[in-house]
Order: sequence, then C-alpha cells, then structure tokens
Amino acid sequence: MDTKLTSKMTWIQIILVIAFCFLAAFFCQHNDGLYRQPIFQVNRVENGKAVKMTDEFHNVDYYHSQKLYGQITNGTYAGKKFSINNSYSDSHAMDHEYKRGQKLFITLHTQPKLHATVKDMKRDAPIAFLFAIAISLLFVILKLRGVTVISSIVINTILFWIAVKIDHNNNGSAVILIFSILAVVFCFVTLLLVMGWSKKMLVTLSAVLCATAATILITLLVFAVTHERGVYYESMQYVTQLPKPLFIAEVLIGVLGAVMDEATDIIASLATLKQERPQLSKMDIFKSGRQIGKSIMGPLINVLFFIFMAETLPMTLLYLKNGNSWHYSFSMNMSLGMTSSLISGIGIVLTVILSSLFAGLWIKGDER
Amino acid sequence: MGSITALGIVLLILMIIVGGKQGVTSFLSMVVNFGILFFTIVLIAFHLPPIIVTIVSSVILLSITIFWSSASDNASTTAFQASVIILILIVVIIIPVEYWAQVGGFGLEDSEELEGLSTYVGINFTKVAIATAILSSLGAVAEAAIAISSGLDEIVTQHKEITSSQLFLDGTIIGKQIIGTAVNTLFFGFFGSSLALFIWFYGLNYSFGEILNDKVFAAELIAIVISLIGVVTTIPITTWIMSFKLKRLHKTQLKE
Repeated sequence: MDTKLTSKMTWIQIILVIAFCFLAAFFCQHNDGLYRQPIFQVNRVENGKAVKMTDEFHNVDYYHSQKLYGQITNGTYAGKKFSINNSYSDSHAMDHEYKRGQKLFITLHTQPKLHATVKDMKRDAPIAFLFAIAISLLFVILKLRGVTVISSIVINTILFWIAVKIDHNNNGSAVILIFSILAVVFCFVTLLLVMGWSKKMLVTLSAVLCATAATILITLLVFAVTHERGVYYESMQYVTQLPKPLFIAEVLIGVLGAVMDEATDIIASLATLKQERPQLSKMDIFKSGRQIGKSIMGPLINVLFFIFMAETLPMTLLYLKNGNSWHYSFSMNMSLGMTSSLISGIGIVLTVILSSLFAGLWIKGDER
Repeated sequence: MGSITALGIVLLILMIIVGGKQGVTSFLSMVVNFGILFFTIVLIAFHLPPIIVTIVSSVILLSITIFWSSASDNASTTAFQASVIILILIVVIIIPVEYWAQVGGFGLEDSEELEGLSTYVGINFTKVAIATAILSSLGAVAEAAIAISSGLDEIVTQHKEITSSQLFLDGTIIGKQIIGTAVNTLFFGFFGSSLALFIWFYGLNYSFGEILNDKVFAAELIAIVISLIGVVTTIPITTWIMSFKLKRLHKTQLKE
C-alpha cells in the first residue's frame, strides 16, 4: 500500500520535473525581448574550407570559416535579415563553431551599411535547464528542507553581492575586513537557518568563527616566515585590485561552508550523545568529537581540493601545450589552488579540535 | 622552504594530532589525488581522449578518497558503488549541457593571461570543460556518499532486524540532515573561488544578462550546479543500494 502510493507520487513528480525543466529552457530560448543587446538567430550556415595550421610548438589545428545567415530577433532592428562571417578552430579555445538554431549576441554596425560581428553565444537556456533540474531535485528529495537550502543560497548570494559592492566602493582598500564581517554574517544566517536559534547554534557559531580566524592567522604567520616563496599572486585570475588581501578573502569565504558543515555535524552528534548519556565527562565528549571529526575531515578536505584544483585544468593544459615545463605550468596555474586547498585543510582540522572543545565545555545534558 | 611545503607540514602535523594514523592516510589521499589529477592533465596534453581519460581517473580518484577514509568496509563499498553510479549520471547530464552552452575554453576576461600563448593547440576545449566540471564534483559526491552510507551502516549494525523499507526511510532522514549543510560547502567554495571574478563584473558594470551569459561565469556555475545535482542524488542512490544489500542479506539468512 505504502509503496504503491510513493511510486504513484514519484511518477507525477517525474513528469512535473521534466515539464518544469523544459519550460524553463523554453522560456529562456524565447526571452530575447528582455535583452538590450541585439540577438541574432542563425537560420542557415555555409561552411568554408578548413585550413591546416601549425604553431611554433608543433601543435596542429584546423581553422574553418563559416557564413551565418539569419535575422535579428529583438530591438529596433528586429526581423532584419543578413549574414555574418565567423571563423573558428577545432580547439574552440577562444572561438565557437555556430550551428543552425543557435542565438548569438552581436555588435551591430550601421555604417556604411548594416553589418555585424559576433560577440558571444546566448547561454541562458542551458543554465536555466540545469538550474531547473537542481531545484526540482532539491524539492523532490529534500521536500521542505529544500526550501531552507534554497533560501539559504539566495540570502547568501544577495549578501555576497552587497559585500562585493561595498568592496568596490572602497576601491578594495579593506577587502579582508569587509569579507571577515561578511563571513560572520554568512555563518550567523546559515546556522540560524540550519539549526534554529539555540545554544547549540551559538556553540557551533563560536567554533566556526574561532577556527576560521585561527586558520587565517596561521596562514599569515606561515606566509611571513616563508616570505611567501612559491605563492605566485601574479598568476591569480581576474584580479582588479591588490592580489594578496583578495587571495586571503577568497580562501576565507571558500573554507567557510566546509567548516560550518563539519562543525554542525560534530556538535549535533555530541549534543545527542550528551543527551543520551549525561554522565559523560567533558574529556569524554572532547574525545568522541575528535573521533567523529577524524573520519569526516579527510573527505571534506577533498571536496574543496577538487573545487579549487579542477578549475585550473584548462589553463594548465594550455601552458603545457605551449612548451612550458611541468614545474612552470604548475607554479603559474595550480600553485595558488594548492595553497588554498592546504589552508582550507588546516581550517577543517582546526574545526574538529575547536568544536569538540566547545561542545565539551558548554553543552549540558539537559538541554537540546 | 616554500610556503606550500610549510603549509603542507602544518596541515600534516595538525592531522596527526587529531587523527593519528588516519590523519596520515587522509593527508596522503590528498597528495595522491593531486598526483592523479596532474597526471590526467598530462595525458590530455598528450592528446588522449579527454572525456575517457577523465572518467577513468575519476573512478580511481573516487576509490582513493572513499577507501582511504576511515569508513567501515560495508559503508565504503556502498559509498563507492553509489558514487560511481552518480559519476555516470553526471557524465550523462554534463555532456549535452556543455555542448549546448559552449562554455569550453577561455573568455574575454582571460585575454590578458593568454597574451603570448598559442590557443590553437588542437585539443577540443569543450571536452576539457566537460572534464573540469566532472573533476570538480568528485570530492563533493564522495563526501556525501561516505557520510550517508556511514550513517546507514551504523543503523544496520545497531538494529540488525531493521527492514529494508524502514532503512530507506531512515536513510532519507539522515540524508536530508547531511545534504542541507553539504550544499553550503559547495556554494561557499564557489563564492570563494570566484570572488575575484565577481569583483571584476561589478567593477566593469556587467548587467545581470551579461553575467549569466558570460563564458567564464557560466562555466563555473555549470560546474557547481552539476556538483549540487550529484550531491542531492546521493541520498536516494546510496540508500537504495544499502537497502538492496540488506534485502539480499535477509534472504540468505532466511534460506539458512
């Protein structure tokens, strides 16, 4: 009986989810009117001949040219038909091969006659599609909890954007201070949503904040002792202000989620433990906290390791293909990712110690 | 001594203090994972097919992360099986999405860094983007799978008589608690690693539409959302495998 009900529910859910995902993608395919930039829809493509080319490192690539026929779909020139020339390489590193049906952002030139160059592709539909899958899975699997998770993401994104705004208005002069304050607010809001207002939440909050602060202090200390040898700030991407404080702020925010995740797990388990066996001493609680932490810290460090390291892959690859040594390619691309991973690791291990300690000191058996 | 070495030593010492032997193993798993990751890049640079190389090394990376954790045998086997299934699911979703969104390669924001580099290297960067997205999700998937299967394993050992449908319900409850916070790990990791990019967007007055369609941003967002999908699907898949095993166990016990 029970299984029948759930399987029926699941079928309706699956259909709803699929419908929702395609609807989201469909909406984004047809939202051209919302954009101020002119959008060009490709109706027909004429491909030219491929030209073989070899660079100074003997990399072989093929260069193609194509002519795109289509029309503008929004703005004052909507409905105007013309063609655009485009060229692309097989590696697609900085260019694209366009196909029929795709929509592109273009730059329009009206002099001497209407013509255009392609700026970039319109990508909102696939992103909306993926988001729709993620959101519906959150709701289907987590049910009500999904609402908490999504609202926590939304609130944190808004806070993050506000912090970026304040940072910009200060010309990046107080990055670390701004993002430290943001970190405190982030923790407070997130933990409040996850745990609710309780003593347990306050214990977790203090463990998270102390562990993060200690991590940053240790990092600065190590940097001072080693004179930052091997830390190539010049290899940081998209830097528009002083790189060192920006790097510290990046790591600070990056490690925060993992530290909160871990502290919540440890303190929640310890509170349950103390509840069930109130005779346990402070030392016993500390020891079991260490026991729990020991088993989760390894996998957790790997979470951030993969996030920080994987994104360096394309650029490292390009360096290697441009005749650079393994060592140089690593230093210029992966060393900062490695540094952030190690710092996060330190933060994650410190959290084990501090949450066990604080739980032992402050959590009493009779409260929940 | 370089800063990376020094930080590594600090981390190793802390991990030994907290975890003893397990601390050393956890540290080693990170070092070996780095080696495999770098080797993957080198293999792609030697023109081996990027997606296949990535899938093979992903399975190895998952097994190292999971089997070198301190989870029990039953828990880590289940976690590994679940995470391989999720890896397949991620591959199936990510390939069409990346081809659709065309986020491979580099954006206009990278121009300064690309100066003096030849970008015509004969490797398809759309495939490289697929590899990047798969790799960045591995840690999160492994962590979620270990957490849920350890929790379930604990229940199975404590209540030997539990039915598989009861276990499925318990698994969903445990999963909800774990995933609620695991999502934060992912999103803060994303905020942190793209902080500079956000400041860039704000400084240059990008509109919402421009940010959403920006190649670099879209690539990172896709990688993080696909990890999120992987983490959330860990709950039903891990729980399903665990209760399937329990059912089989009950059956063999009945026969005896």
